Amino acid sequence: MATTVGSADGDGGEAERLGKAGGRGRADGGRADGGRTDGGRTDGGRDVRTAGDRTRPAARRTRYRYRQTAVAYLFLAPSLAFFAVFLLLPLLFAVLLSLSRWAGFDLADLRPAGVDNFTALFARGSSFLTPVLTNTLLYALGTVALALTGAVLVAHCITHLRFQGFWRTLYFLPIVTTVVAVGNVWKYMYEPGGLVNGVLNALGLRSVAFLQDPVTALPSVVVVQAWASLGSAILILTAGLKAIPHVYYEAAELDGAGPFTVFARITLPLLRPSLLFVCVTQFITGLQSFALIIVMTGEGGPGDATNVAALEMYQRAFKYGDWGSASAAALVLFVLILVITSAQLWLFRRKGADA
Amino acid sequence: MKRRRVLAGLAGAAVSAAGCGAPGRGGSGRPGDPVVLTLLSHYATDPLKSALQRVVDEWNAAHDRVRVRTTAVRFQDLLTTLMVRQAAGQGADIVHPYSLWAGQLAEAGVVRPAPPGDAARIERGFARPAVRAASVHGRIIGYPTEVQPYALYYNKRLLRAAGLAGPPRTWRELEETAYRTARRDRHGNTLVQGFGLSRIDDSTVVNQTLALLASRGGSFLQPDGARSALDSPAGRAVFALERRLIDRGASDPGIDLMKAFPAGRVALAVSGAWWTGSLKQTMGRDYRDVGVAPVPGPAPGNRGTVTTGFLLGVNAKSRHPREAWEFLRWLNDEVAPAGSRAGPAAAVRATRMSVLQMSVGTMTGRTGDMRALLAAGGDPNLGPFVDALDYATPEPNGPRAQKAKALLRKNIEEMWTGRRPPDAAVRNAVRQVDQELSR
Amino acid sequence: MRRRGRFPWLSYLLVGIGAVVTVVPFLDMLLTSFKGPGEYGRLPYRFLPEAFDLSNYREAFVRLDLPLLFRNSVVATAVITGSVLLTSSLAGYALAKLRFPGRDLIFRLVLATMMFPPFVFFIPHFLILVHWPLAGGNGLLGDGGAGLTVSLAALVMPFLVSGFGIFLMRQFIVSVPDEMLEAARIDGAGEFTVWWRIVVPQTRPVAVTLALLTFVGAWNEYIWALLVSTANPRLMTLPVGIQTLQSYLDPHRMVPVMMAGLVLSVLPVLLLFLLLQKHYIRGVMLSGLK
Repeated sequence: MATTVGSADGDGGEAERLGKAGGRGRADGGRADGGRTDGGRTDGGRDVRTAGDRTRPAARRTRYRYRQTAVAYLFLAPSLAFFAVFLLLPLLFAVLLSLSRWAGFDLADLRPAGVDNFTALFARGSSFLTPVLTNTLLYALGTVALALTGAVLVAHCITHLRFQGFWRTLYFLPIVTTVVAVGNVWKYMYEPGGLVNGVLNALGLRSVAFLQDPVTALPSVVVVQAWASLGSAILILTAGLKAIPHVYYEAAELDGAGPFTVFARITLPLLRPSLLFVCVTQFITGLQSFALIIVMTGEGGPGDATNVAALEMYQRAFKYGDWGSASAAALVLFVLILVITSAQLWLFRRKGADA
Repeated sequence: MKRRRVLAGLAGAAVSAAGCGAPGRGGSGRPGDPVVLTLLSHYATDPLKSALQRVVDEWNAAHDRVRVRTTAVRFQDLLTTLMVRQAAGQGADIVHPYSLWAGQLAEAGVVRPAPPGDAARIERGFARPAVRAASVHGRIIGYPTEVQPYALYYNKRLLRAAGLAGPPRTWRELEETAYRTARRDRHGNTLVQGFGLSRIDDSTVVNQTLALLASRGGSFLQPDGARSALDSPAGRAVFALERRLIDRGASDPGIDLMKAFPAGRVALAVSGAWWTGSLKQTMGRDYRDVGVAPVPGPAPGNRGTVTTGFLLGVNAKSRHPREAWEFLRWLNDEVAPAGSRAGPAAAVRATRMSVLQMSVGTMTGRTGDMRALLAAGGDPNLGPFVDALDYATPEPNGPRAQKAKALLRKNIEEMWTGRRPPDAAVRNAVRQVDQELSR
Repeated sequence: MRRRGRFPWLSYLLVGIGAVVTVVPFLDMLLTSFKGPGEYGRLPYRFLPEAFDLSNYREAFVRLDLPLLFRNSVVATAVITGSVLLTSSLAGYALAKLRFPGRDLIFRLVLATMMFPPFVFFIPHFLILVHWPLAGGNGLLGDGGAGLTVSLAALVMPFLVSGFGIFLMRQFIVSVPDEMLEAARIDGAGEFTVWWRIVVPQTRPVAVTLALLTFVGAWNEYIWALLVSTANPRLMTLPVGIQTLQSYLDPHRMVPVMMAGLVLSVLPVLLLFLLLQKHYIRGVMLSGLK
């Protein structure tokens, strides 16, 4: 029991440090050290308390412990019940469905199907691997590349400007806007009679059928997704930029380094933790989002040009009633995301150790 | 005491979360209350919406024991809505699905075969392709309300301007007409398409192609619906034809056919009967330029086309199937009283549904009704469609028909946009469709 | 704080162009909502409307059951926000300040919940709500009726607790000094009183942040609301309702009316954001913690 409490306290200390670092975004290096020292301080605090307890009978202390346990579980009860019903149960249900054939709508009609649903996803002629999964990866990669490049440039430039808060607010507007608004506004801006083609025509260029042409459809949606996620990326990178100590820049100035050298040699390398964080979160978001695609191209058309894995899952389930293969598709995507996340986290840790 | 307050707080949160009032379902079940039947269709826009509402109002005015309430969604959302509502135990009593989905909906237990009496009435009263489209495995599911054979639309003014006397009767003439009528400006922007290809949804993309395929004697699936039959000389010829039309500048699938044809910028297009009503509405006086002819075949007089449609069936989970079928009989099988209509059509003996469909420019599968209504001042452009009911083949409607159609559509579009050559697109479509059908 | 580079004009140019690209779609939405019938879609494209025509807003009110949509959106958002705040604060307090066996494990579990992408639960959540026992005409085994999809509960249930919320509250409650809690306990206060009298006031800033993040997320949620209101149209929220406009209007008339509806639905959140943006922005940075 003592060890459990001790390790929980150690964790708490670390969390406290992270909490205080909150304003600066993620600071990863030296996690173990911070945890240990802070944990020590918390332990000190508890010593005072136990010293007070010592004057009371041991039985009372045990009763106090029991009561605290009861209260804690009472406070946690709603959350734990929720996780049981809306996390654990669905997960098991998803696995069950992916291994079943279910033609009807009554639970009694579930029939075991082994791994048929998974093999069918990757069978010859199945469109799941290409183009659906490749589209998914391209969508996520494109979004990350665009949003990250844009965010680095803007976040870097904003630090040179007056009214930084005003600029950040502007860039932030898309984040608080519903995807229905974002998707529709852009969809109609891309139309032949819309703003984008209007600008192209005014410049003497021919109209482009952005969402109708399978070559331009996916990139067109990627641009919108990147546009919509730029704000939060800028915010996190700005926090990262502000955490870079001034002395580096002062030293560089003394050495007579130009602005581009400073950017490439100092800013970018020191920004790496924030960059990686934006990269990971936006990539994961990109892999699983399809609301924008539903709004902009309906069913992922033209052809399969903008069809992504999560949308494919949605359609298989709710349009064709093919719950089994839809759940299989969801689990495949989930495993993919898990693998990619762990790979990126591993990269994180390694770089953290290097720094 | 304090713990009780915690509990009260938690309970309050749970109640506020779960108990947000439940809107009642139709039909309370108390004795004396009328039975309320819900009807889900895709008649969400006028003129279809108000045409259906008028006839439902007529029923409600005459029947206080059984009332009908209509709901409608966009056609593109209809299948998902049917499936999701059924899954959620909130399916409508009467459903109006696309006949292509009959197999899927029967397998999922949304609809089931019609009672023997109604099946016999349907068998007797409707044209053969319409009955087959409303059946699954030879068993009739519901009343074929709307039947949509495909035929060739042409713009008389554009054909005259190109020095052509009449619509094409063979594939060769079709191609020649398309090339002679197509025009572009010096930048390469399309001014007039010789042959329009629509890409608004699975149905328009695939059905125009399947109509051409049938005119050449081919078909999409084998008769049993278990495998693809596309990889045939006819299948390859249709894909190659469409590719050629695009390559030589006669077709531009990037342009919305539904807007371009009414604007007088398309000479030829293959579409369903419903388009006459929609064109009449959007084109106004210019509609007199629109003509309809059978889909051209390999030789003159060689006819074949595809037909699709909608059927009105009763939900397998409905609590009032008897009342629902009673309403459907009233709507689809009883002759409408003459007094309810105006003009020359008033004297014609036809069912309420036939009158409804003809009033919005489409048709039911009752050939007799259709001919009588046409003779009494209907749109002559519907004539070729009524004729087509004699020779059209219904599209196969097995449990995975919609998915197979979606796969075919994607391959057709990839062929149009040049991502796959025609033969490769045929082979890829066959591979994907067979894989789907074998599941 | 501010560093002046040697080429501030370049920075102004870049940030300025980016800002224009960000703001113009919003302006386009607003301006299109004033374009009269037949004006939208005419070539060449014109940014400004010919006259400020308010008929699109009238049309949006006629075509949509806006009171129902607003009610559903407001109730769902309020219930979700309230529930997330309450459960996060209670659970966060237990995990941060109470000592009990299994605390470590539960905290790790909460962290793990954040790893699961929402779409994995999409299908099972729907089926679980439909087959909720003894609800909406269901039997004890969850078959036979409509389950919870008959009520607004369907709209909010999957969002009532947030792993991120618990984590965030815990991190802040940890930094509430133990002495304050201990002093209250010595005065005879029970844990609930300690939570309510000390922890809740001490963590008010982070609670505002969490509330704002949850509010915006719930107000803008689309996919789940779309599914639930496909099953039961009485549960339609604002975003879903506006999306249905495309089926009820002819294409040329549709776009300006739709934009009018979007302006109405975006405005409340935008105003709230502009008023409380400090808290919101802090929330996004804090989300960088997980």
